[in-house]
Amino acid sequence: MDSYRQEKVQKFEEFVDRRLKPDLTRAIAERDKVFEQQKIFSDLRKNIENLEKNSVTSLRTLVNLGSEVYMQADVPDTQHIFVDIGLGFHVEFTWSEALKFISQREDKIARQIDEYTRLIASIKAQIKLVCEGICELLQLPAETSVQEAIF
Amino acid sequence: MEVYRAQLTRVISGPVKLTDQDPLQRSNRINQSAMEEPTAKGTVTSLSSMFSVDDVQKAAKRVQDALLEKQQELERVKEFISDNTNLINLVQKLPEELHHGIMVPFGKAAFFPGRLIHTNEFMVLLGEGYYAERTSKQTVEILKRRGKVLDSQVDSLKAMMKDLQAEASFFDTTASEAAEGLVEIREEYGEENLSERASESGLLKQDSSRLSEADNLKDEDEEYARIMSRLDELEKEELAWEIENGSAESKQNNVAKSDNAKYGDEDNELEEAELAAETENRSDENKQNNAAGSDNENNEDEQANTVSDQFSNQISLDHNLRHSECTGLTVQAALEDAKPRTKSLATNVNVEANSAEKALVLPKEDNVATAPLSIQEISAQASKPEFDRYKAFTESIIEHNYNLQTDQQEQIRNTSKPSGSQSSKPVSRFKMQRK
Repeated sequence: MDSYRQEKVQKFEEFVDRRLKPDLTRAIAERDKVFEQQKIFSDLRKNIENLEKNSVTSLRTLVNLGSEVYMQADVPDTQHIFVDIGLGFHVEFTWSEALKFISQREDKIARQIDEYTRLIASIKAQIKLVCEGICELLQLPAETSVQEAIF
Repeated sequence: MEVYRAQLTRVISGPVKLTDQDPLQRSNRINQSAMEEPTAKGTVTSLSSMFSVDDVQKAAKRVQDALLEKQQELERVKEFISDNTNLINLVQKLPEELHHGIMVPFGKAAFFPGRLIHTNEFMVLLGEGYYAERTSKQTVEILKRRGKVLDSQVDSLKAMMKDLQAEASFFDTTASEAAEGLVEIREEYGEENLSERASESGLLKQDSSRLSEADNLKDEDEEYARIMSRLDELEKEELAWEIENGSAESKQNNVAKSDNAKYGDEDNELEEAELAAETENRSDENKQNNAAGSDNENNEDEQANTVSDQFSNQISLDHNLRHSECTGLTVQAALEDAKPRTKSLATNVNVEANSAEKALVLPKEDNVATAPLSIQEISAQASKPEFDRYKAFTESIIEHNYNLQTDQQEQIRNTSKPSGSQSSKPVSRFKMQRK
């Protein structure tokens, strides 16, 4: 009986360490990527709104050639902007079109973030559940503080 | 034999691979061999007892991991270098045209169609948020300097990787050796081994010197015969002169030694005879002195050698003692030299005249007589420190008779050509001081 319990505990621990925890870190990494996307698009939206507000028609900027070496670049027409729509495709938009696309994109990104957050929460809950199960098998008093310290 | 064994044990003091299968049997055998040899003071430990195989393998794994990390870093740095060279090419190429049509990035997700203008103006980050406006050429220079830094980084990384590889291979071999059951034999380095060796080499030298002496012996015998015949000749001349002027000299003696008047006539006659004998001896000495003086120092030395060599056939130890002293005397100044030399020679002549039995006794007396003399000489010759030291040293090692011969030969060489044999002197001294 005791050896059976030991086996069970070991199995649960392995499940937590080899399955749930890697899943959790992967989900967090994915969500971070989506956060980055969100930031990029929000920046782009702000920039376009800025151009609109200042009614900029031509633009002079510095282009990074690599290794922090910059060169001046001239944009004669700022009305048309190419925006990355994913999978390596870029679509030529006017400012208003671009803003519309960006807001839609931001909504989608927000949904993705919510999804990932839920996934992360569920993984955390599973980990907690398995840990509680292990505690029960070992007939230890439920110890919540330790589990919260881990995550 | 002793020396041999010591050398052998030293040779095998590194890790030794034994082909035996049973480790217990192996260690037993080593213990036995250690018991058999009283000179071996080594300790035998198996490698696996010092490092466990698991530990060594773990260490090897860690080193391998570190190596992998370095490898990745190297890859990254190499990527930087390729980026840098690409950028240098780009910067060199850009000013060739007035402007280039490009897509100007606008954030990360968007861009505008545009063109590069002012193609010979670059803003280069110097670090810490400072930028400098440079031309294409200047930018290329900066980038090349950056490239050099990257190259040195690559070199250092490669060196580190080499070290790690060596470490890894060491751990691997250690692990395999520990698994095989290798033993390590350690022995404390002993001073006596060195001295034993030195004595052996000294013996060898002695042998060689004996050989050469045997060669010299014939020449010396001839020389000796020549000198003795010359002495006899001189003696005869002296006697003839004595017979002619005998009466006149005895009168002179009487006048000179007026105190002797208290003796009777008979006594006087006796004394006259004694005095005559004395003068004969003295003149003999003088004659010999002249003869010796006419020859050069080297010759004199050989004479001394030949005379003393005569005894060497009878008592080897005494021969050694005498020999060393005689050669020691040759380094004296000419005036000082004459006295003890002729004295010893005179005794030799006397010995020659006496029976062989007395010859056995006389050298010892001679030693007693000359020993204090040589000490005086040492003190008198403070102005010549090198010779002095050397002689003092010669005197001090008299009790080691087997080393003496080598030394003595060196000394002869020194007297014959003092400048040439400087190199051999310190070596022998060093060896002697170890005794």
